[in-house]
Amino acid sequence: MTPVPGRSRTTAVITGLAVVLALAIIAGVGLGAVPISPAEVVGAVGRAIAGEGSALSDAVVMELRLPRVLLAALVGAALALAGVLYQALFRNPLADPYILGVSSGAGLGATLAMYALGSSYALRAIGVPAGAFVGAGLTMLLVVRLASRRGRIDPTSLLLAGMAVSYILSALTSFVLVFDRESMTSVVFWMMGGLQNRSWEHVGTLTAMLAIGSVVPALYHRELDLMLLGDERAGQLGVSVERFKMVVLASASLVVAGAVSVSGLIGFVGLMTPHMVRLALGPRHRLLLPASVLAGAIVLVVADLLARIVLAPVEIPVGIVTALAGGPFFLWILLRKERAR
Amino acid sequence: MSGRALGFRDASLGYGERAVVTGASFAVAPGEFVGLVGPNGAGKSTLLRAITGNATVTAGDITWGDVSLVRMPERERARLVGVVPQTQAASFAFTARAYVEMGRHAHLGRLADPGPADSAIVDDVMARTDTARLADEAADELSGGDLQRLTLAQALAQQPRVLLLDEPTSHLDLNHALQVLELVRSLTDDGMAVLGVFHDLGLAARYADRISIVAGGGVTPPAPPAEALDAQVVSDVFGVRAVVRTDPVTGSVAVTPVVRGADLAPAVAGPAIGLVCGSGTGAGIMRQLALAGHPLYAGALNRGDVDQAVAEAVGAEIEPLPAFGQIGEAEAARVREGYGRCACVVVCPTPFGGANLPNLEAALSSGRPLVLVGGMDAGRDFTGGAARRLWEAALAGGAVRVDTEAEVTGAVERLIRMEA
Repeated sequence: MTPVPGRSRTTAVITGLAVVLALAIIAGVGLGAVPISPAEVVGAVGRAIAGEGSALSDAVVMELRLPRVLLAALVGAALALAGVLYQALFRNPLADPYILGVSSGAGLGATLAMYALGSSYALRAIGVPAGAFVGAGLTMLLVVRLASRRGRIDPTSLLLAGMAVSYILSALTSFVLVFDRESMTSVVFWMMGGLQNRSWEHVGTLTAMLAIGSVVPALYHRELDLMLLGDERAGQLGVSVERFKMVVLASASLVVAGAVSVSGLIGFVGLMTPHMVRLALGPRHRLLLPASVLAGAIVLVVADLLARIVLAPVEIPVGIVTALAGGPFFLWILLRKERAR
Repeated sequence: MSGRALGFRDASLGYGERAVVTGASFAVAPGEFVGLVGPNGAGKSTLLRAITGNATVTAGDITWGDVSLVRMPERERARLVGVVPQTQAASFAFTARAYVEMGRHAHLGRLADPGPADSAIVDDVMARTDTARLADEAADELSGGDLQRLTLAQALAQQPRVLLLDEPTSHLDLNHALQVLELVRSLTDDGMAVLGVFHDLGLAARYADRISIVAGGGVTPPAPPAEALDAQVVSDVFGVRAVVRTDPVTGSVAVTPVVRGADLAPAVAGPAIGLVCGSGTGAGIMRQLALAGHPLYAGALNRGDVDQAVAEAVGAEIEPLPAFGQIGEAEAARVREGYGRCACVVVCPTPFGGANLPNLEAALSSGRPLVLVGGMDAGRDFTGGAARRLWEAALAGGAVRVDTEAEVTGAVERLIRMEA
């Protein structure tokens, strides 16, 4: 009856997910070509914070494994956040950054930026995420425009438009790469979705973009609930619908751009995670948002771990792992929806 | 504040550039319930939707006091105007209580969660809409009626000063429909201004203080139900020939559709069919004959008699009598003459007393062929045997007798063919 039980449940769920995430990160850092025990992982981080790490295993943890695992967590969190936002705004449980074409748009934007900005490290650090953001934003506007009929967005048209635009933009990205054969291999790997050779700079960039992109959803979680009742009803209950959509789509584009510019195209995390969390915890965004962000982080840390150890020493791009798991999931939702009809 | 009203000021409303309703000018004062009626697609819902910015106001304005509602920020407007839409899809499984609580949104601060005061309001509106027992159920699994009442609760949680209802009882059973409208009535008693779209003219007449008719791209100024709705309006606006009268039980205007104007067969050329009827015994027969296209003449009927209203609805000619008036010599002569012009006269299973016996006498003395419906048992004859004697004379004179109303049209048309 009062908000108090809801609040304690929120706290319990969030704490539980945070603990699982911490364990997943420790496992992600510890498992690999050279196994490192959980105690050593925690010790290495502690010594690094205290500024005294020196052992070889400390360097492996701090320079190789931890940035990568943290990046996986951040990318998963960003994609899940974007998925929650798209699913609420479009009232479509199948919406996610990959399916809507936004990831491909960010990819093309990032590729063009890389190509245009040359090898200047400083320029790339800012220019690539910025290019990805512009690409993501423009793609979203295009897909929404294509799927709109007299002010309404048809759910099926949205998905079809997203996929079609996604293919076109991916093809354009490949086309750009033809002119830059030297970096082609690394970019192709990046396009498939990979987390190899990532550094603390990437962690910093994505942390900043995710933080900025989280402000609107965190403050406006009630509006997201209201959007699930439809644009018209949300407006009647006090939401400035058009303005709200624009800021939410901008936030989502920002976090997608961040994720894509550090890790390329990783699909289905943004689809699966919010969907599962909603089934388990209900549709209210006050809980759904933080829980999905944490769950997305967990999913991608685990997926990246699998990508590294299943065929070790060969490493699979993590995007392949998420697609193998997410594709069937997508079909499952689609068929379930059809049957419910 | 108390002087403010919801006002349409020469407003043209529609979608995009296309105006559906033009020149709407009327006000709904606090404490008043105005009903909008009219055919489908005439723009009733558009009038409501324009208030909340879901339809375009292409000219004029919609105001609360002196403030334009059209340009008001959504949040501010949501504290002033609550809406119960015609249908509300509930996707995603919010609990019923969480769904109602969404009505509090416009009252909550950016970082504030709903507090005890909000909780108390939610409890109150759920109790008043009879939805408290649904609190923990998933809103997307409720029946249409439960969801409609829940949406009303959500709108009431906004604590609005203006309530807009778009067919608020379309999904409700009779019990809940009356409950919801009684609730809305009590809200107007507390000073709420209510504007509601109705399909059911009877419910509109019973609960609204004033009624506006939305048709042909315009809105009539709101008028009391008895003035706004009469048989002519119902025929013009809805194309339905109806009996409009004061319901003896509720005291409000009741509209009983008789036939759709479009269902009436083209008028049959030739003389009218006469009827001896009254007290509703001729209603079904008049409806049947009118559908078949026959012009009708129903003799002398008292104002207030059901058959008089039905005769008016189907366009039958009568000799009007005041309520409880007797048929005098002059009327009797006119009725005899009237029946005399008819192809034949149908004697409906009417109970006869001193007041209406002259109709039966006139039918016999007109010399036209007669069709007698039913039998003349003691339950019909309050004339001390006079009606029975006329009945037997008619049978002796070759009148056709049929047992049921359903056989009347056939019998009448056989008579007409024999005459020809």
